[in-house]
Amino acid sequence: MKFLDWAVVVAYLAYVIWDGIRMTKNSGSAEGYFLANRSLPWWAVGLSVMATQMSAITLVGTTGQAYSDGMRFIQFYYGLPLAMVILCITVVPFFYRANVFTAYEYLEKRFDLKTRTLTSFFFLMSRGLGVGVIIAAPAVILSIVLGWSEIATIFAIGLTTTFYTMVGGVQAVTWTDVKQMVIIFFGLSICLFIIISNFPAGVGLTDGLHLAGSVGKLTTIETSFDLTEKYTIWSGTIAALFLFLSYFGCDQSQVQRFLTAKSVAQGRTSLLMSAFLKIPMQFMILLIGVLVFVFYQFQMPPMIFNQVEADKAANIKPAEYQAIEKNYKEIFASREQAAINLTKANKQEDNSAIEVAKKDYVRTNDEFQKGRKEITKFVAITNENCTKEEIEQDKCRVNDVNYVFPMFVIQNMPMGVIGLIIAAIFAAAMSSIAAELNALATASTIDFYKRHFKKDGTDKEYVFFGRIATFIWGMFACVVAIFATNLGSLIEVVNTFGSYFYGSLLGVFVLAIVVKRARSRGAFFGLLFGIASVAIVGGYPWLSAKWLEFTGRNDLWNIVQNLGIEYLFKIEFLWFNVIGCLVTVIAGYLISLTVSEDSK
Amino acid sequence: MNTENINHKEKPEELPDSWWYRVYLAVIITTIIVISLLWAFSQYFSN
Repeated sequence: MKFLDWAVVVAYLAYVIWDGIRMTKNSGSAEGYFLANRSLPWWAVGLSVMATQMSAITLVGTTGQAYSDGMRFIQFYYGLPLAMVILCITVVPFFYRANVFTAYEYLEKRFDLKTRTLTSFFFLMSRGLGVGVIIAAPAVILSIVLGWSEIATIFAIGLTTTFYTMVGGVQAVTWTDVKQMVIIFFGLSICLFIIISNFPAGVGLTDGLHLAGSVGKLTTIETSFDLTEKYTIWSGTIAALFLFLSYFGCDQSQVQRFLTAKSVAQGRTSLLMSAFLKIPMQFMILLIGVLVFVFYQFQMPPMIFNQVEADKAANIKPAEYQAIEKNYKEIFASREQAAINLTKANKQEDNSAIEVAKKDYVRTNDEFQKGRKEITKFVAITNENCTKEEIEQDKCRVNDVNYVFPMFVIQNMPMGVIGLIIAAIFAAAMSSIAAELNALATASTIDFYKRHFKKDGTDKEYVFFGRIATFIWGMFACVVAIFATNLGSLIEVVNTFGSYFYGSLLGVFVLAIVVKRARSRGAFFGLLFGIASVAIVGGYPWLSAKWLEFTGRNDLWNIVQNLGIEYLFKIEFLWFNVIGCLVTVIAGYLISLTVSEDSK
Repeated sequence: MNTENINHKEKPEELPDSWWYRVYLAVIITTIIVISLLWAFSQYFSN
């Protein structure tokens, strides 16, 4: 990075802090600090909804995923517009007219205090840990890309965000989200333009897309109904629908966005804005990843995008590394030639030549992918990144997908644009973190401090507590982030941790809004049943593996095999949301039948 | 909470439900069109 790039990044960080301080004047009252006096326009709320959902790891991870796996991931968002419509009909008017600060506050009005406290507690638990991961994931990548220490990167992201969120409250969060979205869009648009203009002479956008399409990188619909497959049209429209209903309708970090809108109509419009824009926006991000793939057909990509891991392996086994590098160059050269041949054949519109060139290109691309797989394995084993079991099961690989986009930017973008894209990655991270911190502080203040300890406090006391809570959650998130970067696999654990709760939380709100017969006892125990059911489905394989590790016996998994229900425990985590919701609603309803009336 | 201090601004009039249902229908139809276009895009460049 050159001076201009650093200047762009530093200017961005300074601007965000200054902007947060500017917002303090509107944050004196509790409603101002937590809900912006319900005065924000729909477009600002809508952009904030999108910015909150798009974390840095969504940005760099999605482009990396498109590079390696194509556009399949887009199916994940197919259920989002329908989810938004359902939420506009149900929770938006319910929450808005109930005049609540938090989604969980509504549950006390509908059921009782313990249901509200339990749901809010689960939110604080899952989100408190989750926000640590949201900081950790981009910090690991940016620290390598920028050459900073991990801790310095964590605090650069964490402290800046905590500061402006603490000072300016939800207004600072929303208005900085708007500006951050502008930076992200602007950065990505420039990036897209530069990638296309960097294609070699004679290779245009459509030529590049034909190349990507011929190796399956442009698949946007996968119709196989397989619960163990992560991205299909079914998981996108059914399982992800439940996830989005839960995330946008029951998670305080999103509910708080539309509660700040001027009216129910503006709240609804803000969600519908997301419904219209999300799929095209995600398409654009994935397209960047695919075009990076095309770019690297004509320019040799790094063997390993994670430069630290690559250098480490090269230092430990230099001779082997060089031999692998030589082979890598050869397989790249043959793929490059095949790509050129296919592009030429496409231009000549000679079907038989296209067929031959395509076959050759697919074959050389497969060889290249195979070679890269071997390299990631060699580096992982050399750097001792894997357990003995993983090596034996051939699961030992360096996963460098998240490094593809940042490394591409650093190595190929012009001066100034690098700084802009790095600022966009910071912006994506900070917009999510700020909304999460603000929501955590709101739930802590309204659902715990105000409800349990200080019922008749003044606005000043609640705002003060809100600021302290933001600071504490910010520090907690930074500490979690430091640990999460050291324990790589923990990131995955904590990431899926949220999906253990989401479906069940949604179930409680379904009981509250849709099921008239639902009673507080049903909602409370339904929630516990829902979470327990997901914990069993998701945690059983882990538990049986640990049991096997400690006792040397496979008892727990044998039970499952004898019952013939192994498939149940291989279900992809998106379906946990469906399971949690259904179990909560069914159990909650049945338990409610045993109770005649709620005694409040 | 000291809600008396909060200035309750006059809320804008809400639009009728029938209007919203037309908007929701438009969202769903647009989504189906977008997904179809994505499918067509994928088919065009894959073959």
